[in-house]
Amino acid sequence: MTSIDITSTDTTRMSSDISLLDPGHQAAGLTANNVACWFGTKKVLEGVNLDMAPGQVTALIGPSGCGKSTFLRTLNRMHELVPSATLAGEILIDGVDIYRGAIPVTDVRRRIGMVFQKPNPFPAMTVAENVLAGLKLSGLKTTRSERDELIESCLSKAGLWNEVKNRLGDPGRALSGGQQQRLCIARSLAVSPQVLLMDEPCSALDPTSTRRIEQTISEISETITVVIVTHNMQQAQRVSHRCAFFLAAENEPGRIVEEGPTKDIFTNPRDSRTNDYVNGRFG
Amino acid sequence: MTTTLNTTKETKIDTEERIKIREIEMVDVIVMVGSALSAFALSYFFFQILLPVSGALGFLVCWYVFFNIISTVAVWELRGAIKAKDHLARVFIWTGGLAAVVPLILVLVYVIGKGYHSLRPQFFTQDQKFVGALSESTEGGGAHAIVGTLEQVGIASLISVPLGITTAVYLNEVKGRLTKPLRMIIDAMSAVPSIVAGLFIYAAWILALGNQQSGIAGSLALAVLFLPTVTRTSEVVLRLVPGGLREASLALGGTEWRTTSRVVLPTAKSGLVTAVILGVARVIGETAPLILTVGGAFVMNANPFSGKQDALPYFVFRLIRFPQEAQVARAWTGALVLVILVLVLFVIARAIGGRGPDHISRLKKRRLKRKGLA
Ligand SMILES: Nc1ncnc2c1ncn2[C@@H]1O[C@H](COP(=O)(O)OP(=O)(O)OP(=O)(O)O)[C@@H](O)[C@H]1O
Ligand SMILES: [Mg+2]
Repeated sequence: MTSIDITSTDTTRMSSDISLLDPGHQAAGLTANNVACWFGTKKVLEGVNLDMAPGQVTALIGPSGCGKSTFLRTLNRMHELVPSATLAGEILIDGVDIYRGAIPVTDVRRRIGMVFQKPNPFPAMTVAENVLAGLKLSGLKTTRSERDELIESCLSKAGLWNEVKNRLGDPGRALSGGQQQRLCIARSLAVSPQVLLMDEPCSALDPTSTRRIEQTISEISETITVVIVTHNMQQAQRVSHRCAFFLAAENEPGRIVEEGPTKDIFTNPRDSRTNDYVNGRFG
Repeated sequence: MTTTLNTTKETKIDTEERIKIREIEMVDVIVMVGSALSAFALSYFFFQILLPVSGALGFLVCWYVFFNIISTVAVWELRGAIKAKDHLARVFIWTGGLAAVVPLILVLVYVIGKGYHSLRPQFFTQDQKFVGALSESTEGGGAHAIVGTLEQVGIASLISVPLGITTAVYLNEVKGRLTKPLRMIIDAMSAVPSIVAGLFIYAAWILALGNQQSGIAGSLALAVLFLPTVTRTSEVVLRLVPGGLREASLALGGTEWRTTSRVVLPTAKSGLVTAVILGVARVIGETAPLILTVGGAFVMNANPFSGKQDALPYFVFRLIRFPQEAQVARAWTGALVLVILVLVLFVIARAIGGRGPDHISRLKKRRLKRKGLA
């Protein structure tokens, strides 16, 4: 297993193979082949193989510290932002390697968006500017009507439009926590990603906001592949089509113990540890 | 207060009685006043009568020590050891705060008292061209020195602010290989005594390169002092920008440059303005680096690139040593104008810098309206 030299493939030239604002974009499939991750010399993930089919919601479950977030961050090249982090294996988007392939890292991240555990709207921007931030950060010029349309459609998709349509000029952080998280989802949707990664997006939210976000996930999953990390078993069952159970034994790197259709994982798991976990007996 | 304001507008007045947290009880007041009085009496007895020394400062110190002892013992008796320690700590912190603020206010009051006599409108419009040895202190003015200071500090900030913020971005965002040596150089630079900065420019710019004394030479000397202050403060300010914002920006497909320019710097804007203010404050009152570089002048020279210039602190430094009372009075007025100038610059900077990232300024609101975003 050779580890990937991140810096050598770090090209930042702009490619024009995807058009932002293109409404006809397709959900893309992600494939992880034999992925391993290290922080310094500590190996935290090993032998991860996972297929995330286009237009499906994949839930990653498992006890704390087993490497779910780490794995998620390898999927859009956020892992390499930690200075000591390295990885091995390959991640393919529609068959193209995101680390060794020709896709520039900025395009990888735009095609594979991410929503973080803690809401992080840009404080120096208004609600409307936050939605459009991705375009600004990619240096994309838009007309006023395109902007208006994008703001309304993205905020509506994130289930936030009605609450903020009269507050578009307020600072992003003037919203409540749940509203901020939905704003972050709207922000991610505005660059028309093909895949959306979500790391415990509802862990700081109330049940109503949680339901709203779950609804959003169901709606967008027709056109966007979703990968979601969650500690909430009910949520995993409600939103996901497939499920992957991660586990790390003490002082061992994390691995996928079992992976399959959500129904099977929860009602008829093959592994006894999966059975214990989904029934709340450990973790 | 609020209730009287509200009744005129006939708004609803809250009738619930609010809990008064931190209410000062009568006993505490009595203990404090009593301790102060008995400490006064005791120190009078010891200091004035028993000891062979006298003097106001010694008496004050004596009084302070006795007050602490007596009041602490009294609180201990009344409320126990924890409260007594709490009381003692509170007294120390209060005295510390006062000790810091009092000299500041004294300086201000003193400068105002000395300087306001000859502060006339013409101080801002005239130079010292027609001022003779016997002129009244209200004749002539310091316009040439004000212009000199503004130009020298302005050019110094034009050099140092972009350079300093770029360096801070390098140290904090790029984190390249040169981070360590660079930080060491900046640290060393901030320890350079201001006279050495002046000597350096004098040797390098004037002697070695053969330039004349001028405003620009002074600006260069000030820039040497300005740069490390802006850099270090900006670096600290940039470090306070949450890493989550950078990650969010990169996750949207932003390049590092756009992340820095569109997310990190705007978020840190008010802090960066503070950094610039601190830099200006560092150099605007400097005299030593200017003596060798700008040369000093009694007449207006608005061109910083040629000919000697004056500067407010240098103006003060020269005139205060004259035997004539009128010149000394002018020097005090110069000092007062310097204080006012600093104050005005700070108010302007605060207005530009805004009140932290969550606050959206009126100017920005208007721009957003035009783009249809608000
Ligand atoms: N920046 C880092 N430096 C060093 N080790 C790290 C770092 N981030 C995570 N780790 C380690 O990697 C392992 C996996 O962490 P990860 O965050 O992926 O867990 P997780 O499954 O997301 O847990 P949780 O459910 O609590 O979020 C942990 O043992 C953790 O200590
Ligand atoms: Mg995690």
